[in-house]
Amino acid sequence: MYVAHLRLRDFRNYPRLDVDFSPGFHLLLGDNAQGKTNLLEAIYLLATLRSFRGASSEQLVRHGQRWYFVGCNLVGPARHDIKLFWSATQRKLTLDGQDVRRLADYLGTLRAVVFCSEDLQLVKGPASRRRRFMDLLLSQTQPTYLPTLQRYMRAVRARNALLKHAIVDEAALDGFTNEVVRAGNEIMKQRRNLAPKLGEMLRLAYRNMSGAPEELRTIYKPSVDGDLAVALAQSRQRERVQRITLFGPHRDDLVLLLDDKPASVYASEGQKRTIALAMKMAQTEYVTALTGSPPILLIDDVMGELDNKRRAGFLPLLELARKSGGQVFLTCTAENWPHDLALDLTRWRVQNGRLSKVG
Amino acid sequence: MRSLPPAVAELIAALSQLPGIGPRTAERLALFLVQGPKETAEDLARALVSARERVVHCNICGALTETQPCAICGDPSRDISVVCVVERPVDILLIEKAGTYRGRFHVLGGKLSPIDGIGPEDLRIAELESRIDQEPIREIILALPTDVEGDATSHYLAKRLSQKGVKTTRLARGLPAGSALEFADELTLARALEDRHPLDSGSQP
Repeated sequence: MYVAHLRLRDFRNYPRLDVDFSPGFHLLLGDNAQGKTNLLEAIYLLATLRSFRGASSEQLVRHGQRWYFVGCNLVGPARHDIKLFWSATQRKLTLDGQDVRRLADYLGTLRAVVFCSEDLQLVKGPASRRRRFMDLLLSQTQPTYLPTLQRYMRAVRARNALLKHAIVDEAALDGFTNEVVRAGNEIMKQRRNLAPKLGEMLRLAYRNMSGAPEELRTIYKPSVDGDLAVALAQSRQRERVQRITLFGPHRDDLVLLLDDKPASVYASEGQKRTIALAMKMAQTEYVTALTGSPPILLIDDVMGELDNKRRAGFLPLLELARKSGGQVFLTCTAENWPHDLALDLTRWRVQNGRLSKVG
Repeated sequence: MRSLPPAVAELIAALSQLPGIGPRTAERLALFLVQGPKETAEDLARALVSARERVVHCNICGALTETQPCAICGDPSRDISVVCVVERPVDILLIEKAGTYRGRFHVLGGKLSPIDGIGPEDLRIAELESRIDQEPIREIILALPTDVEGDATSHYLAKRLSQKGVKTTRLARGLPAGSALEFADELTLARALEDRHPLDSGSQP
């Protein structure tokens, strides 16, 4: 699939942008703070309804304005027209002119994977980063996953609210525990299924890129080894003290081991970068395998961080995306754009919220 | 807004309190009422006041009614051994429309929702228990919503009522009748698959 037309109004530093893109490779060149990453952010926003930079919706509005609009025409197996409008009082998402009522109906329409320096947090950061990584993959590929996760989080919030009371109503707590266990078991089952497939892709991606003998292993580590219902029943004393739900998928982790040692602690900075990149490559491969076509790749200034060896491991993925009718957007400051890439790429100059074709 | 007479502004403010009425609609309605025939406004005012005065909750089941007890609780032909528990009074109408239920009802007036500070004592559960003590009830049918709060409430009630020695059942969940599979969402389909029944034996629960 590819974005054939992108339309921005008062989004970040773009007052107004209407641009057509072909499938294939797009290089976004420009100095810092000109709006290269904002363009990737807009496309990623349509894919996930989140900013990959963790920005709130207010922050996406152009300075001094009150709302933003992002829209695109998407060409894939089918054509789609997506429009997203946000203001403090109104948000509106339409797909082909129809209001989107349920998130689960929409997600997966535009599939995109972003590569950015924040990815390092997948390795170094807290477990929540890796949970979100699993959630994103599963909600793009398993139709029941997102509604189940939303149901689960709602049940946990309700349960936590009960635990905050001075006198906990045991029977009411029991009612919500039942919901936590039911949805929680389903989420753990899906994550448990995902881990081995993802782990194998990760292992290969890492090996191709690092060229080193060390072995990357990925282990899904649920918050409980046995039955969630039993664990919750047994932790009631501790829950009474800490006043929150102590076990369940909201406490899971995806543990990365480099030669059987935790990568977050023992890997070097360079190795961590390679693992982060491998995770995004595995994500791309996983989504491609399940849906039959590669996601749109958004690559934010990471080529500069890679040495030649790792770059060589990374480039085949870009070539593949391009060859199979996909689309790749890559941002670069002028001096470090990767000359080793194939020649048939479209070059754009990004300057102060404007886009112009080069050459 | 500043050019509108205070009485109209007041009316707009009152109308915007109603569910589903935004400031625009409230303004349109208010302007219509003050400019239209006087009888329209007077009829509406009368209907409002009299409806509010005459409609009360049934002492027994909690349904909306003008008589005490309500038409269903007072109907001698209804089966008094079965009580269907619903969240809101309007849910009674939905089940009555289906036309097959011959028992009586009990309105809970909400569902457990700790996030909104709604606990068991805020619901009409004690009233339900005293009905079970006083009426010859054999079965309680729980017809609550299937969201997190509704299901947790059903679970809670089933447990609490089990001490009363009364049979508790819950509405089945699955595919909408008379429609194609494509109209069911994924979660409903997944649940319907889970709760599938054998067809040949005729021994459905």
